Amino acid sequence: MKKFIQRFYLILILILLYSPIVTLIVLSFNNSKTRAKWGGFTVKWYASLFQNQDIMNALYTTLIIAFASAFLATIIGTAAAIGIQAMRKSVRTPIMAVTNIPMLNADIVTGISLMLLFVAIRFSLGFTTILFAHITFNIPYVILSVMPKLKQTNKATYEAALDLGASPIYAFFKVVFPDIFPGISSGFLLAFTMSLDDFIITHFTKGPGVDTLSTKIYGEVRKGIKPEMYALSTLLFVSVLLLLFVVNLSPSDKENKKVVKHRKQKQFIFRRLVPALLLLVLIGGGIFYGRSSNLTGKEQVIVYNWGEYMDPEVLDLFEEETGIQVVYEEFETNEIMYPKIQSGAIAYDVVCPSDYMIQRMIENNLLAELNYDNIPNAKNIGETYFIQSKQFDPENNFSIPYCWGTVGILYNKTMVEEPIDSWSVLWDEQYKDNILMQDSVRDAFGVTLKYLGYSLNSTDLDELEAAKKLLIEQKPLVQAYVIDQVRDKMIGNEAALGVIYSGEAIYTQWENENLEYVIPKEGSNVWIDSWVIPKNSKNKENAEAFINFLCRADIAKMNFDYITYSTPNDAARDLIEDEALKNSPIAFPPKEDLERCETFSFLGDENDALYNRLWREVKSN
Amino acid sequence: MANKLIDIVNISKSFGDNLVLDNLNLYIRQNEFLTLLGPSGCGKTTLLRILGGFESADHGEIIFEGKNINSLAPNKRKLNTVFQKYALFTHMTIAENIAFGLKIKGKTSSYISDKIKYALKLVNLDGFENRMPDSLSGGQQQRVAIARAIVNEPKVLLLDEPLGALDLKLRQDMQYELIRLKNELGITFVYVTHDQEEALTMSDTIVVMNQGYIQQIGTPEDIYNEPQNAFVADFIGESNILSALMVEDKLVKILGVDFPCVDIGFGKNRPVDAVIRPEDVELVTPDKGILQGIVSHLIFKGVHYEMEVEANNFTWLVHSTDMFPVGTNVGIYVDPYNIQIMKKPKTEDAEAVGVEE
Repeated sequence: MKKFIQRFYLILILILLYSPIVTLIVLSFNNSKTRAKWGGFTVKWYASLFQNQDIMNALYTTLIIAFASAFLATIIGTAAAIGIQAMRKSVRTPIMAVTNIPMLNADIVTGISLMLLFVAIRFSLGFTTILFAHITFNIPYVILSVMPKLKQTNKATYEAALDLGASPIYAFFKVVFPDIFPGISSGFLLAFTMSLDDFIITHFTKGPGVDTLSTKIYGEVRKGIKPEMYALSTLLFVSVLLLLFVVNLSPSDKENKKVVKHRKQKQFIFRRLVPALLLLVLIGGGIFYGRSSNLTGKEQVIVYNWGEYMDPEVLDLFEEETGIQVVYEEFETNEIMYPKIQSGAIAYDVVCPSDYMIQRMIENNLLAELNYDNIPNAKNIGETYFIQSKQFDPENNFSIPYCWGTVGILYNKTMVEEPIDSWSVLWDEQYKDNILMQDSVRDAFGVTLKYLGYSLNSTDLDELEAAKKLLIEQKPLVQAYVIDQVRDKMIGNEAALGVIYSGEAIYTQWENENLEYVIPKEGSNVWIDSWVIPKNSKNKENAEAFINFLCRADIAKMNFDYITYSTPNDAARDLIEDEALKNSPIAFPPKEDLERCETFSFLGDENDALYNRLWREVKSN
Repeated sequence: MANKLIDIVNISKSFGDNLVLDNLNLYIRQNEFLTLLGPSGCGKTTLLRILGGFESADHGEIIFEGKNINSLAPNKRKLNTVFQKYALFTHMTIAENIAFGLKIKGKTSSYISDKIKYALKLVNLDGFENRMPDSLSGGQQQRVAIARAIVNEPKVLLLDEPLGALDLKLRQDMQYELIRLKNELGITFVYVTHDQEEALTMSDTIVVMNQGYIQQIGTPEDIYNEPQNAFVADFIGESNILSALMVEDKLVKILGVDFPCVDIGFGKNRPVDAVIRPEDVELVTPDKGILQGIVSHLIFKGVHYEMEVEANNFTWLVHSTDMFPVGTNVGIYVDPYNIQIMKKPKTEDAEAVGVEE
């Protein structure tokens, strides 16, 4: 009975530890794309994994960084350990404590502080910074594993070597090194796995276009987990497992001391063969993937854009036509993008912020003036949009509109009494629990301020208090405060009304023909996302070429088809074949509607805080 | 002296506040087997390490063949060391260990393999070339360490308690082996040990050290028979050390009883120390003894009996091939030649040096 309980407990623990990994491995062989269903055994995810250039690039980068950082950290760490060992004990103990602290330090602190350091010394983030960061956090692990071996080493053997005529360096490599080699090699392998494993520090110190497997997986997962990721994670797990086996089998050759020949063979395998094979794989991978990798130093342009905000084919076309290589990075919100540009850690060449953020960037002197001579296709952009842009870029010196849209009400024709033409419906008792509001402070207040007849950039406390009061009154009527789900809920007939962006509205109409969009008569928000070039861009001409390319009618049309947000490109609009879409009042509202609309302005940090405080009061009331 | 090989002049060394060697002077002759003997912490190993170049002296000079070698690196000195813990290179074969120094000197491989054969034969380890150090016994490892040192044909071989880790039988065998080696090779040995028997067996000259000072230098016979102070007498062999009064030349008062002796020149009625070796105490019938006592303790030691005799409030240690049971009344007689008279330490400092152990 006791034995049974012991076994049961052991099995329970093993299940707890390994069931997640087993699940992952099983799913990586699942033929069905959904997690819920077993669609038969397949290795196709593995096949498609190896055909995915991006992932293989990331794998190669990961291996190079792991290998190089482990190698350099091993040299530096071993030298440090020898130095520390030679110190007096009263000095050695505190020094050891100091070298141990970075290991206990939270990764996120290490990551952020490394990033800050790189930024402070004007070192632009990229492959090198990841490498430096990894070397930095690997050194303590090497010291930790070399130190005990050094302590065990009989100091007399080193002295004996000197005594026999060896120079100190010769004595070290001939006598001390073989003694501490197990410590050095386990330090190397530890550093190697630590580097492979790291996500957080890499995330903070990496530059655009450089990805290790972990940051690549993170980036992919944000967009939805693909089965290839299961396959990749499985391979990673298996590799680490193999590495562990190698560590445990490597020269612990106590039993084989007497059999010299066998020992020599083993030595040969671990000292020569394994490193040679590793090197071969690295060099081979380098040649194979290096051609497309951005490490090769040809002409490039670093693009920083919203997620899902460009047809990937456009990038391929641009590379083909110009020979300029695109390094493409994505952000989720203006607020995430801004500090990255401000810190100057990464020299982006072309960025796509929204109106109010462009204003803020201009005010903070972060943008470079555009040279319109290099952007002849700017003529395709409608005059109206340049005029609208003057609200945030008074001279049109810094930005060229890319996408725009309005905020309005999406309603289900079968569920409301038409006509809907005013924000007042959002306060109409008969639509109780049928109203969807945007869960974002500026949108919610903007709508309310407009309803009250004020500017949506109001900073007048009385106006804002009035808006707050109205929003609190509205709360019982609202079904949900959401962002992306407005689209899906409206398509699914789950609500009658919702505040939505016009770009989304077009898509919902394709899915549900009962939906209609209106810009209320009180006016609304018009937003514009435009291309700008940061001041610290290193490839300004390439950036202008890129913007020019995006302004080409056929390219703008491709992007419009892909993202369905209104294009300011009149020439592109002319290319739209579907007359209904071309003249859609949603995508291209009449001029008089637009004249009632305002763009958001950057109100300053203090007012931002005020808005946020009022919004909290609304939400918590 | 013409054949001074190493001259150690005014050497002082301290670690922190701890003075280990204090203004020490010593010379080592060509072809000599010199032993530094003393309790642990007496500075003998430090002196050896200064000779080897692993420590540097705070003051003083090391003169080797007439040249100051104070700042010469260990790998440039014409002497080799056999370390206490052998310090074999565990990842190399025996042959590789022995060849280590020769390879550095750039000798040809045929010369090296000849030397390996010769050295292994010399230390009775023929055929051990391809073994690994860990597979050898302690004595074998020690002999490899010696072989590794001597193939380099050093002028001087420094040995730091090389037999300390071996068992008694092996230690005795190795002692003879070392003497034989020294005679065959004709090189100077500087040997460090705390084992007085080892020192007496092997040495041409013994240097007795305590607390950084040399207590006595001499041949084994000198040291044993004529200890110059109580420390040496106590450290070398076993002895009865007694406070005594030198009444006049050739007469000493021990425990209130007059003993004839042969020492002269100590003055009259001067306090001295008298040393009498236990084997020199002769037990006779009470009436024939200078002193009378009772046997209080008896142990059989193989070669002799060890007895303790209570006489005049002193416990005499006696070695004798004759056995007297406990409780026997005996007389104690000492031949005048076997009483060694020593000066009492004059200052308190010197006393501390002498009486510590």
